[in-house]
Amino acid sequence: MSDPKSIVFVVDDDPLLRDSVADLLGAAGWTVQTFGSATQFIQSPRPDVSACLVLDVELPDLSGLDLQIELAKSGAGMPIVFLTGRGDIPMSVRAMKAGAVGFLTKPFRKEELFDAIHEALLRDVEVRKERLESEELRKRLGTLTPRERQVLALVVTGLLNKQIAGELGTTEETIKVHRGRVMSKMGAGSLAELVRMAEKLKVSS
Amino acid sequence: MPEPELEKDFSLEGSMPEGAAPLESIVCTEELHRRPSRPPDFEKENRALVALVTALSDSASTIFQTLAETILNVTKCDSAGLSLLTPDGGKRYYWPAIAGMLAPHLGGGTLMPVVPAAEECLLVPFYVDGKAVGTIWGIMHSDRRRFDSEDERILNSLGQFASVAYRTVASVDNLKVQIAARETAEAELRERATGLEARVRRLIDANLMGIFTWNLEGRIVEANETFLKMVQWGREDVGSAGMRWTDLTPEQWRARDELAVADLKAAGAMQPYRKEYFRKDGSRVPVLVGATLFEEGGNDGVAFALDLSEQERAEEAFRRVEEQARAIVDSALDAVVAMDAEGIITDWNKQAEETFGWTRPEALGRRMSDTIIPAQYRLSHERGLKHFFKTGEGPVLNRRIEITALRRDGTEFPVELAITPLKSGDTWTFSSFIRDITAPRQAQEDLRKAQAELAHVNRVMTMGELTASIAHEVNQPLAAILASGDSCTAWLGNEPPNLDRARAALGRITQAATQASEIVQRLRALFRKTTSLTTSVDVNAVIEDTISLVHHETQRHNIFLRTELTRGAPSVSGDRVQLQQVILNLAMNGIESVAGLDNEPKRLMIRSTLSNPGELLVSVEDTGVGIDAEHADRLFAPFFTTKPQGIGMGLPICRSIIEAHGGRLWAAKNEPRGAAFHFILPARAE
Repeated sequence: MSDPKSIVFVVDDDPLLRDSVADLLGAAGWTVQTFGSATQFIQSPRPDVSACLVLDVELPDLSGLDLQIELAKSGAGMPIVFLTGRGDIPMSVRAMKAGAVGFLTKPFRKEELFDAIHEALLRDVEVRKERLESEELRKRLGTLTPRERQVLALVVTGLLNKQIAGELGTTEETIKVHRGRVMSKMGAGSLAELVRMAEKLKVSS
Repeated sequence: MPEPELEKDFSLEGSMPEGAAPLESIVCTEELHRRPSRPPDFEKENRALVALVTALSDSASTIFQTLAETILNVTKCDSAGLSLLTPDGGKRYYWPAIAGMLAPHLGGGTLMPVVPAAEECLLVPFYVDGKAVGTIWGIMHSDRRRFDSEDERILNSLGQFASVAYRTVASVDNLKVQIAARETAEAELRERATGLEARVRRLIDANLMGIFTWNLEGRIVEANETFLKMVQWGREDVGSAGMRWTDLTPEQWRARDELAVADLKAAGAMQPYRKEYFRKDGSRVPVLVGATLFEEGGNDGVAFALDLSEQERAEEAFRRVEEQARAIVDSALDAVVAMDAEGIITDWNKQAEETFGWTRPEALGRRMSDTIIPAQYRLSHERGLKHFFKTGEGPVLNRRIEITALRRDGTEFPVELAITPLKSGDTWTFSSFIRDITAPRQAQEDLRKAQAELAHVNRVMTMGELTASIAHEVNQPLAAILASGDSCTAWLGNEPPNLDRARAALGRITQAATQASEIVQRLRALFRKTTSLTTSVDVNAVIEDTISLVHHETQRHNIFLRTELTRGAPSVSGDRVQLQQVILNLAMNGIESVAGLDNEPKRLMIRSTLSNPGELLVSVEDTGVGIDAEHADRLFAPFFTTKPQGIGMGLPICRSIIEAHGGRLWAAKNEPRGAAFHFILPARAE
């Protein structure tokens, strides 16, 4: 039921609970790595596999919510399942808004935890996929000439070749050639696909 | 009139017939004043004096014997007598009159060799013109009765009479000498000296008392100076001027006078009685009058009048003092109970009647211990009394103590008791002031209950503020238990079961469950409505427990909590829960005052130090906003609060708890910023 290639990080200052959670996840087949504080977690190197974080809100050094923000800033954001000793609605809202997958109140049932971890890992797979995709698109975008980028920007706004030619002060034929090169360089099968890519890359004229 | 200088240097003891009264038997005035005494009996004294005066006018020659018998009679002693110094100015005594047990041993002024032993001897000298002429005395030959100051008072009074009698007799004796010396005057003098009129004349002239002659028509024929002075009339008013005894008599005494006149007519004599005369200015003088007719069936007679005003004033004063004393004792809010050395109740006031249910007549004469002391304390009461008589020490004497007393109906109740021992003579009286403190005790108890209730509310409220932390404290191990339980199940479900991992999970469950139950136990004590329970309390341990309660709270607010606890600090005597409540309250106050800080350091410090030998000082210091000067003096006032949800009872409760433990709680400035709360508790005596 779990993907052994993915890692679940557990950060909690209470060793008893930390060990219990790690053991429970281990028994269910997950690979688990534990930390006693936020600082420890930040400072340790992490392998490039899909992962999620089971994080205690009340940590002695840096609170769980602060760690969430820190990770997002450094671009190392990952789905987080929060654990807390008290159900505090404003806090959970803040955490969820910042992208938390779950906010579990101790004591929690294992199903809740497992479901949240599943979802978190799935989301991490998504995120990682999207991250890879946009990196690829960005690479492709880098192969376009300045003229081709100009054409791309205008094509995705829905202008006809003739209108683009008028806009750029050239012939319809030349635009047709540029357009064909853009489509093939970006690997787009249709105009609709090209428009989606441009949206992702936030290309604009 | 100035008192004549009294001769002091004659031998008083020498006045006793040799062997009759050894020196040590003579009781002195100081000793008498220490003894309990009967109240003065003026009536008896009057009767004795009247009898003596009558006797003197009747037969001067036997007056000393009459005097001796009177002493015997009024003091109820065994022997009494009169000793006179020989008239040659020498220092020898002779004994013209002795009555009672010694009488048969005296012959012709000398004492027989064997005389009854004297237990106590009371001796009063008397003087004529400042010169001691003799003594009168009384002797107790057994200890069936002892002299008291009333005996002394009467003996003094009789001494004055003795002085009068001495002068009268001396004048008679003088006459005898003169008769012997001057043959020519003898007949004349004898005639004058033996006739009744002559004797009366001597009495009248002696001015020892008011004397007047009168007739049945109501006239005063002649009156001496003393009488005139008594009624403030002049010599010129007497005799032909028509001074009348009937006019001198106020209306209300007329009937009594008529009765006396009737007696005189019938028997020639009358009982002396007390009446009043008008003075010239219309005021009244109380007198004792006695009268007799010169001859039976005659019309003329002689009367004496003793001015009683002085005596009545004294009597009145004494009565008033006694009444006042009684009134004070009776109106006292305390029960006043006196007990003699034998443990018998000798006084019992109104309040005592109400407090204990015994009336005064019922209580007097009962044993104190059987009456008001509960059975279980009687033995120690008797022991204490014995110890006091032996050593003079009484740890419960002369101070207020709280003790249990017994009512007539058998119920016991708390009292405040003060016992004062009083020595009179060589015996003791114990006065006890007893106050029923059932009501104040109850009030105190109610107050204590109300305070405990309030303290409990405060604890619950404080714990309410801590709910989040408490929930976390308990939920943490619960979460561990649940997780480990599930993993244990999983390990056991493996094929083959992973027993090592399952065992490890069970170990964590046990550990977490223990943790949870410890937390619950700590909390339960604070939520419980406990009655105060005094034990030996290790304050450092209480501080550590409290920190575990607020630990999460400090973490939540990023507060740096530090402790400096003196190792081996002495324990204190007190209620653990209450002391924890104080520390918890102070810590929570400190947390609140620093929680809202943004850029300042948020620090809380709890210290225990040994301030003075035998005193433990606990300080809770924060770096918060501190105490406004305008709030400083109201800080400990009930219902004063600066918190929106506070009821303002935290600090007053803390202070009352600390004070109930014999300590002090105060607030101060913390340096460089914030507030500090300190309290001192007396260390428990080892």
